[in-house]
Amino acid sequence: MHSIAIIGAGPAGCYCAQALAKALPDARIDILDARPVPYGLIRYGVAPDHQGTKAVIRQFERLFERQGVQFFGDVTLGRDVTLEALREMYDAVVLATGLDQDRKLGVPGDDLPGVLGSGVVTRAWNDAPDSTPPQIGARVVVIGNGNVAVDLVRLLAKTDAECEGSDLTLTLPPVTRIDVVGRSPAEAAKFDPVMLKELGRLGAASIQVHGAEGEGKVIEALATLNGHAPEGARCAVHFHFGWVPEAIEGDTRVTAARFARGAERLSLPCDTVLTAIGFDGSRQEADVEGRIAPGLYTTGWARRGPRGTIPENRADAMQVAATIAADLGPGGKPGRDALAPLVPQAVGYAGWQRIDEAERAAAPEGRVRAKIRTRVAMLALAQRGE
Amino acid sequence: MPTQVLYGTETGNAEMLAEDIAGHIGADVANLADFDPAAFEAGTLYLIVTSTYGDGDLPASAKPFAEKMAAQQPDLSGVRFAVFGMGDSEYPETFNFGGKRIEEMMTAAGAVMVGERVTHDASGPDMADDLALPWADALMALA
Repeated sequence: MHSIAIIGAGPAGCYCAQALAKALPDARIDILDARPVPYGLIRYGVAPDHQGTKAVIRQFERLFERQGVQFFGDVTLGRDVTLEALREMYDAVVLATGLDQDRKLGVPGDDLPGVLGSGVVTRAWNDAPDSTPPQIGARVVVIGNGNVAVDLVRLLAKTDAECEGSDLTLTLPPVTRIDVVGRSPAEAAKFDPVMLKELGRLGAASIQVHGAEGEGKVIEALATLNGHAPEGARCAVHFHFGWVPEAIEGDTRVTAARFARGAERLSLPCDTVLTAIGFDGSRQEADVEGRIAPGLYTTGWARRGPRGTIPENRADAMQVAATIAADLGPGGKPGRDALAPLVPQAVGYAGWQRIDEAERAAAPEGRVRAKIRTRVAMLALAQRGE
Repeated sequence: MPTQVLYGTETGNAEMLAEDIAGHIGADVANLADFDPAAFEAGTLYLIVTSTYGDGDLPASAKPFAEKMAAQQPDLSGVRFAVFGMGDSEYPETFNFGGKRIEEMMTAAGAVMVGERVTHDASGPDMADDLALPWADALMALA
């Protein structure tokens, strides 16, 4: 009998557990998370109006409900249990901790009030525990050319009615202008064309695309968007390409963002700058198959860096799970029998189900859920009935 | 009638559903990525579950199958199939194109579809299993 601990109940950790449960039906697999609730970026990163994408959660529920995987929520590595102790307790330990810090712009003024990272904003819009609703003004510059930038634009440009069916419960500010600025030419932008096309359905935002030359699906999608002008649009979205950030200007708050393209300069007046240029965090050196040390592995963004969507993390987790299955020795470590007494306060899956049920029951009209917004309230709900 | 469940998946949702269907009706299940069109048999009913990914594309695990179908141009006369497509109505222009593509590919090769192609919406209220298991039961009753 093998026992395996996975640190991080986001998509990487859950897909890894899924693949391990398939390969090793007798293994006892536990997933730990620092939050009291599972699913990581599916819950707190995927945009609240993309419920279809969040539906992969239904796969992961099965891990806990039918496949014997145990959830240990509100357990922080280093505070509640050390990595060394876990490695003593488990035959294999997998770090699937992701990357949750916003990469900084690295230009003068990037720490001014009004400059916000996409992770901070996305977590707040997803009601992450103890997050603060960001102060966003009427004129926003979004820096970045990936799908996270598109999420920010779409949510800021949507009307309340357009958020029907989502689990967005914050009221987003009435933004009147959004400039989306990318460092690379449009041809090299990392936008997923289907995400761009989605912007073409916005009913209250006009779209202008500047300087998108070249070929390819992104260029075609941008060309389709250009000139989108629904009647009564309240928000104007402008895309710009090939501009390198030079400085964020302002004294007590952002007043403009300045960019360079060769000898040209572009200064965009704004009160808010949202950066969507990737994520940082602690990554450990691992070999190509995901081994950090004997019995210690890593998967997902913690392994590969902040690239790749849900399916890529699935493929990665399946590969790392295969490595683990091939490496495992005779096993026999105590696993959860040793962990559980160390973390008596841990939120189990039944606790999460109580939180989940309360969130669904609290959904306002037109929304599918109202997330619990503080850790304390989550813990109170989780422990009720235990 | 002998029955087999096949699936094309990108995130695993279609795989899980295909396994549920196969367990429910007691049939074998295979990933389209591992399935050779030469293995289609006349007289067998194939229940094909597939998602849609990206810009109305087939999911990753159905792509090698589509390539083999195009290269081999098999004659699937006498083969019967049914399609359960999974999509997301957040992307209305390409909603459930994966299932549609599979249907077109199979029909063009001479296979005959049983019943209507069924579609599930990931952004809708229904659980895929709640649609798919009765769908499979109805097909088994016909077969």
